[in-house]
Amino acid sequence: MFTTGFKFFFGLFAAFVAAALVYGYTTGGNHVGPISLGWKGGVGDHIGYGVLVGLAFVSLIVSLVLVSFRDADASAQARLQNVAEVLTDQPVAASFWPVVAAFGLGATAVGLVLHPMVFVLGLALIFLSLIEWTMDAWSDRATGDRAINRELRNRIMAPIEIPVVGTLGVAVVVLAASRILLNVSKLEAVWVAGVVSALILAGAWVYTSRPGLGRRLVRILGPVAGLLLVVGGVLAAVAGERDFVHHEVEHHDESGEPAVPEEGH
Amino acid sequence: MTLTESPVAESEAAADADGAAAPVSPAETLGAPRGLAQPFMTNDAAQVGRLFVVASLLMGLGKAVIGVLLSLGRTDAAAPEDLFGGLNAYFRMWTLYRVSFVLLVVMPLLLGLALAVVPAQVGAGNVAFPRAALASFWSWLIGAVIIVASVFAGGGWGALDGVTGNESDAMALTLLGTGMVIVALLIGAIVVATTVISLRQTGMSLLDVPPFSWSMLVTAVVWLFSLPVAIANIVVIYADLRGRSAIAFGRPESPDIWLQLDWLVEQPAVYAMAVPVLGIVFSAVGKAVDARSSRPEAILVVVGLFGLLAIGGWSQDYFTAPQDLRDGLVYVAFGLAAVVPVMATAGGVGELVMRGSKTRDRLLSTPMLGAGAALKLLGAATLVGALRVIEPLDLLETSATWAVFHGVVAAGLIAGVAALATWSQLLLGPIQQRLAVGAIVLLGAGGGLLVLADLISGFIADDPDLMALALDGNAALNGVVLIGSLLVAAGLAAALLGAVSALRHGATAGSEAP
Repeated sequence: MFTTGFKFFFGLFAAFVAAALVYGYTTGGNHVGPISLGWKGGVGDHIGYGVLVGLAFVSLIVSLVLVSFRDADASAQARLQNVAEVLTDQPVAASFWPVVAAFGLGATAVGLVLHPMVFVLGLALIFLSLIEWTMDAWSDRATGDRAINRELRNRIMAPIEIPVVGTLGVAVVVLAASRILLNVSKLEAVWVAGVVSALILAGAWVYTSRPGLGRRLVRILGPVAGLLLVVGGVLAAVAGERDFVHHEVEHHDESGEPAVPEEGH
Repeated sequence: MTLTESPVAESEAAADADGAAAPVSPAETLGAPRGLAQPFMTNDAAQVGRLFVVASLLMGLGKAVIGVLLSLGRTDAAAPEDLFGGLNAYFRMWTLYRVSFVLLVVMPLLLGLALAVVPAQVGAGNVAFPRAALASFWSWLIGAVIIVASVFAGGGWGALDGVTGNESDAMALTLLGTGMVIVALLIGAIVVATTVISLRQTGMSLLDVPPFSWSMLVTAVVWLFSLPVAIANIVVIYADLRGRSAIAFGRPESPDIWLQLDWLVEQPAVYAMAVPVLGIVFSAVGKAVDARSSRPEAILVVVGLFGLLAIGGWSQDYFTAPQDLRDGLVYVAFGLAAVVPVMATAGGVGELVMRGSKTRDRLLSTPMLGAGAALKLLGAATLVGALRVIEPLDLLETSATWAVFHGVVAAGLIAGVAALATWSQLLLGPIQQRLAVGAIVLLGAGGGLLVLADLISGFIADDPDLMALALDGNAALNGVVLIGSLLVAAGLAAALLGAVSALRHGATAGSEAP
């Protein structure tokens, strides 16, 4: 009736509740405050009590979800798949998230000493890996069918992954392209923008007029163009922006003092 | 394996019911990644094990070269300035050599062997957490790169003349890299231990587990008891180094930093990397002479006892006066008792040889040679360790400390080569016998010379100062140390060459009985 996961997380819930009560009463909680979440009486140290109660609620919710969806319940899965018994010790699929997590850990360590941006990047990589890794681990064993497992995973993660990757992609393109355009001269920037736009237009035309060829072309040229753009953006960022000519227009206010100059490119 | 997964026994029962109890190879069933993607995405722990083995041998060769340079520094008083650009730099390399051989060479080498061999020995298709195994390797490698790069950038585990601003950053990186490597090794150890505990084939009790797998289970437990203590040390040192000395001990004007971590490379903690050596010795000899022990439970007890005596987090003397701890009964008892399981292993090996086939080919096979050499060096190391804790001999704070270290390191490396020869098909492929034997002979001779020279230096040393231990010593003995270091470097080069050539022939995983 109760799945293994439910037992584990419900046990955690009970332990956190007990810990919260003990903590509440030992840090100044009175009457039935710690029992009633502070409704009648004090709960003691608010932060510690709040963390413990929060963890208890999270554990309770997870346990209820697990028992509701019969997660890791071998008999329920067997009925679903219409087989006598399911093999739960299934091999896991190949994944690059462990490596991303390791690099995230390394970036966090290096960033802690060298630069806060690297530290934040490392934390972001670790956070991302944890989510993806958890979903992969769950989907590997969701059913006995690997194709269905993959589909289940994508059904949950794709609505998150596609917008996030899309946003990041747009951000990278905008950032890299702007660095390149700011690095070259004003006239060259116009040329670069014009030629790239023409190439994109030409690519789109080929893609629509000859779909078979267009798909192959996009598959080959897409990564190459992306790589060139990123490398160009990085090089341009390192080289810095071009020298801007400041057109100073002096305005004189009523007292005759010059006002703050305006800047133009 | 997720937390919410049904118990393994249930899956095994299900597998039995279907008549499909044979372990499933992940590479066969899941379209394993090929080519360049393989090291980054593999779901096969055996491949992760191979990565660990090759990378740790590479690291070992680099560290052995540093060892040769350090030995050169011992032969000439002016050499540290000439070779390294100052006494501080010499000290950095001296500490790098010691920490690296434990955390970056021997421990990962044995862990890599375990990731490849243990699943096959216990009848599992793969380890318990293959993704965690992959994360373990990459975290270890990145941590190792951070350590080496930061040490060469002026970091390390302390500076003799106080820490400057730039050094402080580099040292912080060294500490974080060390912590990362330790975490990675712990993850790997947990993976191996869980595999032995949870994924044994139906009917195999813990008492039936082969010696190497048992030794890795014991090793994992010992690491889990010892290495987190080192992480705690690192946190304290890091806080002292980067902020105000809030914890009120650990002065950043080192060598205090090193003195807080040196217990990791001294007995009894240094024995933690030698526990698998006993398992390899039993397994390699048993396989070489095709015999099984009449008392397999005795082997488990012997390995377990050695593991118990290798727990070392308690033995750090930085926070207590040395005489309080290292002259204490427990420390002395641990030092003396460590000899017992090694001697018992020698007895067990003798019994196996008596019961097995005693043809010339078998007795002179590479695994037998490796097992014999590793056991002798480990025996020598534990004997020196026993002498070291006998107070009237006054060896405690002398270079005898490094005799123990060198003996254990050499034993671990030789056992690694013996394992490569014993389970060649599970690991890298058939290793060339000449290279394997050459590596064993060179490592054995080099390790033996280092143990002997450091022990004799310990007897004649009269200055217990830290750098005096590193630099001083009898001129003739310093020459012996140099020869020993050269032999170890040559042995590691031969082992690496053998591993690479075996890899080129390719491994056909699972085609050999474990």
